[in-house]
Amino acid sequence: MEGLDQVSEEFSFEKEKEIARSFSKRFQWEMMLIGVGQATIWLSLWPLVINGYISLGFGSFLAVFCACFAYLPSHEAQHGNFSRGNPKRRWIDSFVSHYTLITIMFPHDLMRCTHMKHHAYTNNPEKDPDYDTASAKSIWEVIVATQAGITKYQAIADNFSSDAAFMKSFNKGVAIGMIYRVILLTLVVIFPLETLLLWWMPSKVGIIYLSTFFSWYPHYQTDTGRYKDTRFWSHWMPRFLNHSMQLHFVHHLHPGIGHYDEPKAIEALKPFLIARKVPGAEEIPDRVKYNPLIKL
Amino acid sequence: MAKFNEILSDHIAKWNMVWFGLIFWGSVFNAVANHYEILSSSLLWYSIGLLFGIIAKFRGTWLWKV
Repeated sequence: MEGLDQVSEEFSFEKEKEIARSFSKRFQWEMMLIGVGQATIWLSLWPLVINGYISLGFGSFLAVFCACFAYLPSHEAQHGNFSRGNPKRRWIDSFVSHYTLITIMFPHDLMRCTHMKHHAYTNNPEKDPDYDTASAKSIWEVIVATQAGITKYQAIADNFSSDAAFMKSFNKGVAIGMIYRVILLTLVVIFPLETLLLWWMPSKVGIIYLSTFFSWYPHYQTDTGRYKDTRFWSHWMPRFLNHSMQLHFVHHLHPGIGHYDEPKAIEALKPFLIARKVPGAEEIPDRVKYNPLIKL
Repeated sequence: MAKFNEILSDHIAKWNMVWFGLIFWGSVFNAVANHYEILSSSLLWYSIGLLFGIIAKFRGTWLWKV
């Protein structure tokens, strides 16, 4: 791997990996709770709004909130961070990911296979499926890129058509995406405004939120290469409002580290990150846990 | 069955925006018109949805070109 031999033995890849592994064991129960919780709340909004217990406007506000929480639990599942290599627990990865993604109408299999390619080819203009949003020059360009729709996925399929395992997952994801479309078009005939404001519009907001904080900010103006493709950044927004994506770089280095264990892992790995010249590593605070990573 | 799937996939790839315009936007426009008691036939609102879909199909996008 690129850049692994350029530092002293003290910061060797083996030592870095050993530290990272100690943060890659815990069952991510918080993320399971968020995924299952938001999808259950979102599903319950339908009878509550249709039967007039809450207004459509309030229901829509809650649905947007749910949509912004929908992806990250699936992301943990895509990396197998619920099952942790135990075949008997793989159903948890699959269940949590499929269930949480209902809110934003994303198929788990499509997300998983394209996300693995994003890790393998981060910032590669030809092969990174997230390059369109990651390379955007402004938030406006991110918003424009999110409405590319089916064209983007056709190009990804063309790129990896010779990868049988990828195409198997991809085609399964496309079929599930089609089912989502049929359900959406059926619901809109029966409950038009509810479908627009509880599902379609929140999913669009959720996808823009996701692309901005998961794809754009962490990879903004970064290069290719293991220690160069994702950066530490800070923001005016408290980190709990953007899913702590300031810390996303450690996920790219060690995807097995659970999301809620990333702050501790970064504290332990900080000297390694500085030695490897991870973009922004010098600015990582010594204590991340209660630090909102705000920069005005 | 494989032939049917192929024809269906081709049709969806080519015409999905038109169907989406007709069914999704047509239903939404019609519901908004009913909500504000705008007296017009449903046919008008579904036709506007269809027109949106046709325009999107020929432009290749609903909003901005990427």
